[in-house]
Amino acid sequence: MQDYYPLTAAQKMHHQWILNYKTQQVSGVSVVASLKAQLDFGLLKKCIQCEIERYGCMRVRFTKPDAKGEVRQYIVERDSRDIPIKDLSGMSMAEADNLMQQWAYETFDGDDIPLCDVTMVRLPEGYNGFFIHMDHRLIDSCGMVVMINDLMQLYTHYRFQSEYPADLADYEMVLEKDLKRAGNEKRFAKDKKFWDDQLDALGEPLYSDIQGPSVLEEARKRHGNKKLRAADIELKNLFVEVKDYLLEPEPTRNLMDFCMNHQLSMTNLLLLGIRTYLSKANDGQQDITIQNFISRRSTHDEWTSGGSRTIMFPCRTVIDPEMDFLSAAYEIQNVQNKIYMHSNYDPALIVEEMRKRYNTPENTTYESCYLTYQPMPVKMDNPHLVNIPQHAKWFANGAATKKMYLTVSHTEDGGMNFSYHYQTAHLEEHDMELLYYYMMRILFMGIAEPDMSIGEIMERV
Amino acid sequence: MTQEMEFKKIIAQYCKVKPEEMTADMRFREDLGFSSLDFMSFLGELEDTFDVELEEEDALKVLTVGEALELLKKLQAEA
Repeated sequence: MQDYYPLTAAQKMHHQWILNYKTQQVSGVSVVASLKAQLDFGLLKKCIQCEIERYGCMRVRFTKPDAKGEVRQYIVERDSRDIPIKDLSGMSMAEADNLMQQWAYETFDGDDIPLCDVTMVRLPEGYNGFFIHMDHRLIDSCGMVVMINDLMQLYTHYRFQSEYPADLADYEMVLEKDLKRAGNEKRFAKDKKFWDDQLDALGEPLYSDIQGPSVLEEARKRHGNKKLRAADIELKNLFVEVKDYLLEPEPTRNLMDFCMNHQLSMTNLLLLGIRTYLSKANDGQQDITIQNFISRRSTHDEWTSGGSRTIMFPCRTVIDPEMDFLSAAYEIQNVQNKIYMHSNYDPALIVEEMRKRYNTPENTTYESCYLTYQPMPVKMDNPHLVNIPQHAKWFANGAATKKMYLTVSHTEDGGMNFSYHYQTAHLEEHDMELLYYYMMRILFMGIAEPDMSIGEIMERV
Repeated sequence: MTQEMEFKKIIAQYCKVKPEEMTADMRFREDLGFSSLDFMSFLGELEDTFDVELEEEDALKVLTVGEALELLKKLQAEA
């Protein structure tokens, strides 16, 4: 008999976005992974089919929504679909990327349907591989990287007799454990207390925009409320552009060394860079909240079970401009550590609590910036492929639920990529240029002189 | 299974070191490769498994496997 399960908090987050924005497009995640080598596509097809069997999250489906729009998930036992192949080798790489970008915009519409598409591709310049398009409720980017590596381990096993990949954790078993943990009343009460205590101590958060205080002022006028502390969310024009900036290996090393020498995590340093910029752009506002994504993968089973484990929590800090850069970084780290301890909580409940306490209007938010730091590169980590050039690329789904979403990842040459996804309804490339420019100025001034106050850094950059 | 072994088995889920190879002086971050998130998740699992309540400030002072085990024993004795 088929088992049906409710969604986890991380899945609910994506599901709620689909309901709010009325399109599944906001939940698409796509990547191409390829090698500059001849591939045996017959064998690759067999490996992809085998991966669908091994990686349970690829077989997850959702029931028809009930009256409240809620769905349940189940895992089909078999999915023996054919895997198509597309030949893009006659195009330039830019044209091929553009075409795959169009595929990434496609939606999975319907109930009880597969929410995962895999296409084998012949790419220009001798690259060959596969394109995967999935629903974020099934997988996050870490899960995708694990899958790509597992798939290529299968390929090299059959092709070169390398070792068969180790077993992956069972999706259903990990899902059951997650749901059990979420249902633990004692833990729930403790997590709720943590988030409620934060509101008790700090009161209602205050919106800060990348473009300065005028955005909140406009929202106040629109709502006829001079004391409004939240700004409107864009619901209609969700089109998103992406602007990438590459930080070279040497300055990247300086940031990483600073983190290592001061026992700081890169996420917290990046959060400090963004919040200092927001403070500068908003007349020195001290109370700043940024949404930070956490990938809840710690145990071996959590790492290898696939699924969508990425969830965002508000990182709210009130930092006095007199505080020095290093102390401010530790302040953020302290807040983040506590958040990690309470990250089993459903963040929708935090929003609900704020609406209840402060009568926050519908479709408004306290945050303009969202951060994901990805320590894990999209690289096929396989000794048989080590000397083969690879082409891997993430494709945006083209519909942003967030005003500005920054993904920071590491590049193969030891640098870092800052990928800014921004809603074109309100932001332009120039806004991203400013944000990146000031973030870098703030971070590098701060790591060079960690005793300098945040206020002085804001003045001098 | 002793409590110490059960405790080490939980740690082993988060790293590549086997429970029987784990020593009290091993540091979570440097020797076992725990990230901040791993460590905080581990503490949450300790609370659920052994039915204890950790004070966040005390928990954040823990650096080694031995210190974590001592803290657990102290909390159980106080309960």
